[in-house]
Amino acid sequence: MYGFGLAKGLMVTLKNFINPPFTTQYPEERLPQHPRFRGEEFAWYEERCTGCASCAKYCPLGIIKIVTSPSETAILEGDKYNIDVFDIDIGRCMFCGLCVEACPYDALFMGSGFERGRYQREELVIGVDELREAVKRPSSWFRPQLEEAQYDPHTGEPLAWEEVGREQWPWHQGEKAGARIDWRPRRGGGEPPEDGA
Amino acid sequence: MLFQDVIFWLLAAVGVAAALGVVLLRDIFRAALLLVVVFLTIAGHFFLLAAEFVGVVQVLIYAGAISILIIFALMLTQNVQQGNLPNRLQIPAVMISVLLLTVLAAVFMDTDWRLLSDLPGPLGAGLVDVAFRDTTFSLAKLLLESYALAFAAAAVLLLASIIGALSLVRER
Amino acid sequence: MGPFLRDNVVFREVYCWLGGSESNAGLCGGADGLLPAGFEWAAYFAAGFAIILILVNGALLGAAAFVWAERRLLARFQSRRGPNRWGPWGVLQPIADLLKLLIKEDIIPHAADRVAFTLVPIIMLMALLLSLAVLPFAKSAYLVNLNIGVLYIVAVSSITTIAIFMAGWSSANKYAMFGAMRGVAMLISYEIPLVLSLVGVVLIAGSMSLVSVVEAQTIPFIIVQPLGALIFMLGISAELNRTPFDILEAESEIIAGYHTEYSGIKFALIQAAEMAGVLAASGFLATLFLGGWSGPFLSGQLGALWFLAKLGFFVFLFIWIRATFPRLRIDQIMAFAWKFLLPLALINIAVTAVQVYFFGFYQAEVPGEITRGELLIMAAINIPLALVSIAAFGRVTREKIRVPAPRFEGLAPIPRTAEVD
Repeated sequence: MYGFGLAKGLMVTLKNFINPPFTTQYPEERLPQHPRFRGEEFAWYEERCTGCASCAKYCPLGIIKIVTSPSETAILEGDKYNIDVFDIDIGRCMFCGLCVEACPYDALFMGSGFERGRYQREELVIGVDELREAVKRPSSWFRPQLEEAQYDPHTGEPLAWEEVGREQWPWHQGEKAGARIDWRPRRGGGEPPEDGA
Repeated sequence: MLFQDVIFWLLAAVGVAAALGVVLLRDIFRAALLLVVVFLTIAGHFFLLAAEFVGVVQVLIYAGAISILIIFALMLTQNVQQGNLPNRLQIPAVMISVLLLTVLAAVFMDTDWRLLSDLPGPLGAGLVDVAFRDTTFSLAKLLLESYALAFAAAAVLLLASIIGALSLVRER
Repeated sequence: MGPFLRDNVVFREVYCWLGGSESNAGLCGGADGLLPAGFEWAAYFAAGFAIILILVNGALLGAAAFVWAERRLLARFQSRRGPNRWGPWGVLQPIADLLKLLIKEDIIPHAADRVAFTLVPIIMLMALLLSLAVLPFAKSAYLVNLNIGVLYIVAVSSITTIAIFMAGWSSANKYAMFGAMRGVAMLISYEIPLVLSLVGVVLIAGSMSLVSVVEAQTIPFIIVQPLGALIFMLGISAELNRTPFDILEAESEIIAGYHTEYSGIKFALIQAAEMAGVLAASGFLATLFLGGWSGPFLSGQLGALWFLAKLGFFVFLFIWIRATFPRLRIDQIMAFAWKFLLPLALINIAVTAVQVYFFGFYQAEVPGEITRGELLIMAAINIPLALVSIAAFGRVTREKIRVPAPRFEGLAPIPRTAEVD
């Protein structure tokens, strides 16, 4: 029968019309997000950062700029460099997270927010002041300690630097300490070597 | 009937001006658009004469379809942008125009221009009554009774043209 | 005073309120109006402007409301919500859109034909408003009771075709030209089944006046003339450039078609004409095929509610169709008009003419009178006929997809030169 397909199509749209819409009213309602979501922000803990600029070196796009100056405090009293500039140009960032992987002291975390739209390209650069003042809800991406603590950046409290913990994977510790990597996790299990840490 | 006089002169002036524009304008697309204006003013004249059926058909067929065909033809001509090129057919064109003008003038002179209501006897008043109440009805009566042969001949002509068009575009 | 306006309710009220006197006691009952005697002409103009004000503003506000309704309903058909930020359920959204369009820059392309380019929105809106003149909104609430109303609608809406062509040509834009060319080809083709589909209604009603058509509908003509209603609906949705037939502004193919170059208030006027055109078309469908302002109860001036309800039904149908069907190709559209709609319209005319002759003249005591029972008999004949002829012509015109025979000799197996570990 000619026109039967047309009627079938009309019935499909009518079914949509009767069923409730499945859109989410975004500013008021939000979809649940994964805790490992890598947002347009960064959680940076100045207390842990030594200004080593590993993140800047590992950044494939070269969009992190760090300028440090020696501080006057004695080394034994806990001296470290002053961080004068810490610019992340998220206008060019591709959120690969290699800076977070590279950080030897777990000072840099991916953020979880995604609402940093701006009208000017220059305003997309996150400066050091913004990083200091930001509410720190670190994403648990590449940070297994947060995963183990069941931390969800979208519902949980902001974390201070003492609370975020250090990463505890033994083989990764060895890697961080500068040890030669001669063991890597394989499918099927196996224990890491004892002399790693 | 002052109001109708104003409308008549308005329509006449616009119609003549537009017709002159059709002939004189270099831009052939604007000339075609002015032709539409001429058709619409003629429809307005039909409305003024209480011949609303003919007026509407004038709008529907001439302003709505014939002019579109003319514009389509313009699209298919070359060098439309350069407008009306002078051609070598001026003298035949003038001759045909003069001939047409003569025929029209002869018809004008020959027609009995008395108003219908002035016709002698009850015939005049009756005609006015019928013709001005429902021109569609009178027209249908004329077409399908008095001039049925001409009407059928026109229908056959249209049928022949349709068949011709079909045979032109037939897949081989 | 013209004979037409005398019947109009709004005209009579305003005219008598302002300029009632002894001289027009036949119309106003002799009550004195606000203006002194001798100023009846001022009352005449005031009453005329009152009607124009109501009609024009009603059409434009209706267009705004339709924009809102269409966006909301389209969204619901696609499991979305649609605009819901401005006002309750987003009803103020068209006003926000209009404000945006008003403050936008009004661009005329450098190479454009300025006069024709500027005239296009005016002509489009004018054609639409003209066609509203014959629409009876309720009992004696129409501007004109033309005795050729049905033909008048088609004639006036055919002016839109010229406006579209003017837009395409004067924009000096190839996409506008493409849109205009294919649009005009389609519009001319669909005018023919559109006019022919109305002949059946005119035959049964015995008049081309829309008021008489409403009064003749003892049962809605959509039952008596199912083929006519279907063809008119499809034809008019092609005339309105709605989605299954919107090849002249196909946004995924030719940007925006004929109104590519329009911006600001000109674009707003074109959109208003298109949107109010859907309302007008729904009004015509309701008047011609669903009985207009007449209903089982609520007669008279309150029949406007019936009219609005029927209009809303057709508006919903138009939006539903737009939400469902994809755009047709130009050859499919042409084949649909010439091979499907046109023969069906001719069948409809032939059958209806025979029926009207049999019931109205051959058998009837009063010539031209068709009773309710006879209409029901006609419906009982016409509905199966419609189904059968749709099936038959659908089978004939079904697109034959010719897939070329595969010239495929098979690929040689990919040589495995190296083992991949």
